[in-house]
Amino acid sequence: MSVDSLIEGRQASPPHHLRRPGLLVSLMVAPGVLVLVLFMILPLLWVVRVSFYETAQGTTMVPAWVLDQYVRFLADIWYLRNVVWLSVFVSIVSTAITVLLAYPIAMYVARATGLRRQILQTLVLAPLLIGLVSLVFGWIVILRGGGLFNSLIIWLGFVDAPIRLLYAMPAVYILLIYVGIPYVVMTLLDNFERIEPTLLEAAANAGAGGWRIFASIILPLTLPGLNAGVLVLFALNFSAFAIPLMVGSANTNLIGLVVYKQAMQLGNLPFAAAISVIMVAISAAILVIYSRLMQRFFLWRLGV
Amino acid sequence: MTNSIRQTFYRASLNTLTYALLFFLFFPIAVTIFVSFNSSGFLLPPQGFTLEWYERAWSMTQFRRGVFVSLMLGIGSALLANALAFPISLALVRHNFRGKAALNVFVMSPLLVPTTIIGLALYVFLMNIGLGGGFVTLLIGHVMMVIPFAVRILTASLSIFDRSLEEAARNAGASLIRSFFSITLPVLKTGFIASMMICFIISWNDFAISIFLASSKWTPLPIQIYSHIQFQYDAVSAAVVSSVIFLSIFAIVVIDRIAGLQKILSQNAGN
Repeated sequence: MSVDSLIEGRQASPPHHLRRPGLLVSLMVAPGVLVLVLFMILPLLWVVRVSFYETAQGTTMVPAWVLDQYVRFLADIWYLRNVVWLSVFVSIVSTAITVLLAYPIAMYVARATGLRRQILQTLVLAPLLIGLVSLVFGWIVILRGGGLFNSLIIWLGFVDAPIRLLYAMPAVYILLIYVGIPYVVMTLLDNFERIEPTLLEAAANAGAGGWRIFASIILPLTLPGLNAGVLVLFALNFSAFAIPLMVGSANTNLIGLVVYKQAMQLGNLPFAAAISVIMVAISAAILVIYSRLMQRFFLWRLGV
Repeated sequence: MTNSIRQTFYRASLNTLTYALLFFLFFPIAVTIFVSFNSSGFLLPPQGFTLEWYERAWSMTQFRRGVFVSLMLGIGSALLANALAFPISLALVRHNFRGKAALNVFVMSPLLVPTTIIGLALYVFLMNIGLGGGFVTLLIGHVMMVIPFAVRILTASLSIFDRSLEEAARNAGASLIRSFFSITLPVLKTGFIASMMICFIISWNDFAISIFLASSKWTPLPIQIYSHIQFQYDAVSAAVVSSVIFLSIFAIVVIDRIAGLQKILSQNAGN
């Protein structure tokens, strides 16, 4: 039983029985909530406020209530094409590939039992806790000009000279997918575990083949987990800045990276703030559209 | 008959695909560790085992300083986050009050905001209130980042805690405070260890928040490594990265033993 179901179980009594938090509970909760409000909520609101500032002489902040920063970004076709569209495209493609690769892994891990299961699960989830810089370093060794991958394909005779993978789009894709796989496997494992083995046996006994069992039992039952994984991963990929910063180039300006560059390299905080607000808005809009589409799809399947 | 052949074929292709993907997941890590022990570094064929790169790496002041900063940050944020999270978890598990579900979502909220935005927001805000560019800046960022994990693990270990133990102690005449310190805390010890370790390792490996908040005097190890490999990658950096990986693997194994990785990391546990 998960923690949340335990917590929810305790809330089973109707809401009017619930009292307002007493003094004891308030005192227990207050320090943490206060810290989160002060260093999480306030900074986020402050970003929204700063996004309406003016900038003078390049980057000096001038308090104001203007839409200059938003206009500057949204009215510029270069930003729309090379940043917004690029981010949407890259995050959708990388999320799709990640999900396709993660699904069989999750299926395989969920099927294993005992110690084997334990080891496989730890192996797959471990990259989540190994830092991004460490993972990126390994890929630099593999992908760089004189690196392993290029040496291999030259030795095999596919190409004559090294191809550019690092500090370019291919490396950004590879790392987004690489970092995303464990996330999706994790969300899927939960769903695979909930499938009753007897259900699969029953289907097999009734004469359903492997493919049929997969399409009509396994896939539908794991779709909620798949959806959750897609939502989280898309949001992560869309706002990614560390990966394009470390292995990308001037042509891999994902929107998160533009926020980072404007703030930390060019010092234009109001502009960075406005772009980050736009980033959240676009990401939310796409997630809403995706959820609507999935809803339609489910209703259609149910024949409503 | 054909059915079982087909099934075998599916299973075999699933196995092959999975092992290929597992290889894809672990190859970069294996390569890094291999290079760090190879006396010819990046050059193939391997020339033999050496610890030279490790010696060179750990005699460099910037990496030693990075370890110091990262240790301080990891320990500091683990302690602070757990101190803040424990009473919240206690309230979530043992008390019923209006707004409890909302509180649960609220404390998990740092996980839902992209790191790009948390980093930018803290950078802009802390600079504005005059807290920019020091150790405290980084510490605040790291505490925000790890609080959700601490709450999640402590809530989990409190949920499975057998309260009759406490009641027995109370019935035997122990005061509320006494029973808390002599029963509750010791029983929750493993939960606390798991929580501390996960907070520490997330802080230890963080890049995204740190790069917004680091200053030239206070640079955590991952940022130190990043600025090093931007200009040169040598077997020395492989040795530093490998050391970081070894510490992470150690933590992962311990955390998995104590609490189970999947339960802790699961994204949808927060909502």
